[in-house]
Amino acid sequence: MIVLQDIHKHYGRVRANDGISLTLEPGRIYALVGENGAGKSTLMRVLAGHTRPTSGSIEISGQQVAFLTPTLARAHGVGMLYQDPLDFPAMPVWENFQLGAPGRTKREVIDVIGELSFRLDACFLPDETVSSLTVGERQLLELLRLLDLGATTLILDVPTTGITPVQKRDLFDLLMKLAREEKHTIVLVTHKLTEALEMADAILVMRQGALVSTLTPPYDEARLVQLMFGDAADGEGEGVPGLSDSGPVPRLRLDDALMAGPKYSMGPMNFSARPGECIGLAGLDGSGQELFLRGLCGLDRMPRGTLSLDGKAQPGNDFTALRSAGVHFVPADRLGLALFPDLTLREHIQLTFPGHAADMDAFYRSQCVERFNLRAHPDTRASELSGGNQQRLLLSLIHDDASLLLMEHPTRGLDAGSARQVWAHLNDRCRAGATLVFFSPDLDEVLDHSHRVVVFYDRAIAAVVDRAQATTEVVGALMAGKDPRDVLGETATGNSATGGGPGGGR
Amino acid sequence: MTRAAPMTELAWLGATLLLALALTVAVTLPSGAPPFETIYVLFKGGLGSVSKFGRVLAVWVPLTLCAVGLLVPFTARLWNIGVEGQVIMGAIFCTAALRPYDAGGAAQIIIALGAGVLGGALWALLAGLLRVFGRVHEIFSGLGLNFVALGVTLWLIFGPWKRPGVASMSGTQPLDVSLWLPRLGSMTVSWVGLALALAVLALIYILLLRSEWGLKLRAVGENPKAATLFALGPRRRLLQAFMVCGGAAGLAGAIQVLGVYHRLLPAISSSYGYTALLVGMMASFRLGPVPFICLFFAVLNVGSIQLPLQLGLDSSLSGVIQGVMVLSVFIVHGLRLWLRQRKEAG
Repeated sequence: MIVLQDIHKHYGRVRANDGISLTLEPGRIYALVGENGAGKSTLMRVLAGHTRPTSGSIEISGQQVAFLTPTLARAHGVGMLYQDPLDFPAMPVWENFQLGAPGRTKREVIDVIGELSFRLDACFLPDETVSSLTVGERQLLELLRLLDLGATTLILDVPTTGITPVQKRDLFDLLMKLAREEKHTIVLVTHKLTEALEMADAILVMRQGALVSTLTPPYDEARLVQLMFGDAADGEGEGVPGLSDSGPVPRLRLDDALMAGPKYSMGPMNFSARPGECIGLAGLDGSGQELFLRGLCGLDRMPRGTLSLDGKAQPGNDFTALRSAGVHFVPADRLGLALFPDLTLREHIQLTFPGHAADMDAFYRSQCVERFNLRAHPDTRASELSGGNQQRLLLSLIHDDASLLLMEHPTRGLDAGSARQVWAHLNDRCRAGATLVFFSPDLDEVLDHSHRVVVFYDRAIAAVVDRAQATTEVVGALMAGKDPRDVLGETATGNSATGGGPGGGR
Repeated sequence: MTRAAPMTELAWLGATLLLALALTVAVTLPSGAPPFETIYVLFKGGLGSVSKFGRVLAVWVPLTLCAVGLLVPFTARLWNIGVEGQVIMGAIFCTAALRPYDAGGAAQIIIALGAGVLGGALWALLAGLLRVFGRVHEIFSGLGLNFVALGVTLWLIFGPWKRPGVASMSGTQPLDVSLWLPRLGSMTVSWVGLALALAVLALIYILLLRSEWGLKLRAVGENPKAATLFALGPRRRLLQAFMVCGGAAGLAGAIQVLGVYHRLLPAISSSYGYTALLVGMMASFRLGPVPFICLFFAVLNVGSIQLPLQLGLDSSLSGVIQGVMVLSVFIVHGLRLWLRQRKEAG
């Protein structure tokens, strides 16, 4: 049993945690929810010993301490599983597993892995390098490692990003088993309410640094949303905007296109998309969807085939030419690829809209503050913005005449409120005639917001699925490599392996 | 980062100077030099008379040209260490432009200055092309090109451009007096050089801090990948940054030929390129402090001539003191960062 008492953590004037008291009992699964910046991560870092609280005390296995260190936390059986697995991809499975453990021979380590895997229905080849595993498998390995180190309290930080529905099911079954049969304490930090509602014995809701409520089943979803977001959570319409029958000319059309990235090439592909259409790309990491987006905007080469925009061929997919033709690419790695961390908002606007140097302040107010609700001083540096505000800035930097939006994980790291705003904006763009092609590791997001879903498997388009058919099961099976003809039945298009589809107009 | 109060800034500056002094004492004492007398001689040697100050300014001009030039590539996060070779190339081009003339006037001088700028810019472009298209880091290519430039000078001085009868380290045939830059009163420094240095200083201020070009260059340095997405033409801009710096360094080389040595010699650059890198580091690559640090270094440079004469010490001691200064700035800067982080973490 772990008892947190009146935990405060202040960063300057910011109160990340503001007097949190909490009791975690063994054998139970807790879900910790709250919007971005609510203080979830800080609290979990305090629990894992990575952050020292400003004040408060922690009672762990009967001992009263003011703070934990990572070593101390581990000694008391607290283990944390991070969103991005903290492993060493170049090293083999057994060496990763052995990290931080007491000295053992390779044979002993392999035996331990085998035993744990058997207990938890997993399968690992000890000599395989971790880089060849999927994100889900790497998470599982990390979990085994923590269990081997004697973890009895497991903290999982947003563990379901980037894994298939099946893997997610397995992970949840495993967590259930650990809690019920082995009396482990599980804390699941998540953005997805469905996961919390489905799994948790208790939902801890955080808001602005405070623990506002602890809910127990039966849950009232509306009340949960209300608690998380306060009054800001007005239920804005989800889904996709209606698709009008616009003329015969597709916005985007690929004919036998071959795309070549730095690591692999893909194709030939045939595909087309109409104005106003939302195309979601689904696939596990590295299945080809990244290359597809980068090839469409001209960042990666297209050595063969043609790409046409609005019926006009764009020879050699040149980035600059495509950009001026209205193609706009928004990468997921905002600070790494899309923004200048040390430049101010004003300077970003100036770089994008050079014509507005004279009326900069007025333009900033109308473009960023009013349209996108970006509440930050124009002299703030991009690196100082929260994830939500960075995304708002990126959206405000898209010219109004952009006709083909290519977005990698549009809501990465955003809370449900910000995510809803982003989608409301994107839907507006589509209603105005822009075509959106986006990728998200969150399958629900893809299914919710696409007219058609393009599923990638093994660096090729596996199938194009219409909205009506696109369910978690169907798309999940396709992502995992099931034959489209088996999954989609007779309705599967004959050449689905190379794209096409009802809206394709081939 | 918040701007600290001027008094605190001043206190930190004092701390830096004290540390530099302490380190200088620690370095000079074991070598048997009386520390305070050494420092006194250095400053008196640089500021003791009008003519000495004139010599200081003559050093200040090329040093400042190189140092402010370096700020341009650094804005794009490039270390143009090849600035030394660009000074030498400027001097070579300048000398080459004057080969056909036995005597001349303003027109020839302007042509020669222009040739110097061109030489430095082209030499810098070479390092830039290697960086942008060959993926050779500019520190390696720059260093290599420095040696090549020096090699070319030696070859010219001992080969095609040797003085009739004698080929020696003393350089090429001196220029006719009509091709010298006019002096400022009785001082060794030329007013033309001084005016050009001030003009370049102003130009680079406008370019970096007041123009769209500077903002875009900063963006390219900040995140080249995002610069591609913003269609800022990062490659072209990096090459331009190299060329602006090379041009300023080439101008410095030309002024060395026309205003100081009146010929091409192997030591034409006087290592001002490398010293300018120290200046840049000490100023944390901000424009404001550069002219003042350059002045300070110029005083040390000129004053060091007095060390062997008055104290029997090697003049390279002033180089040691310059290095100690830069080191002190780094130490104090690091100390401040550490204190601030501790305060935030605590």
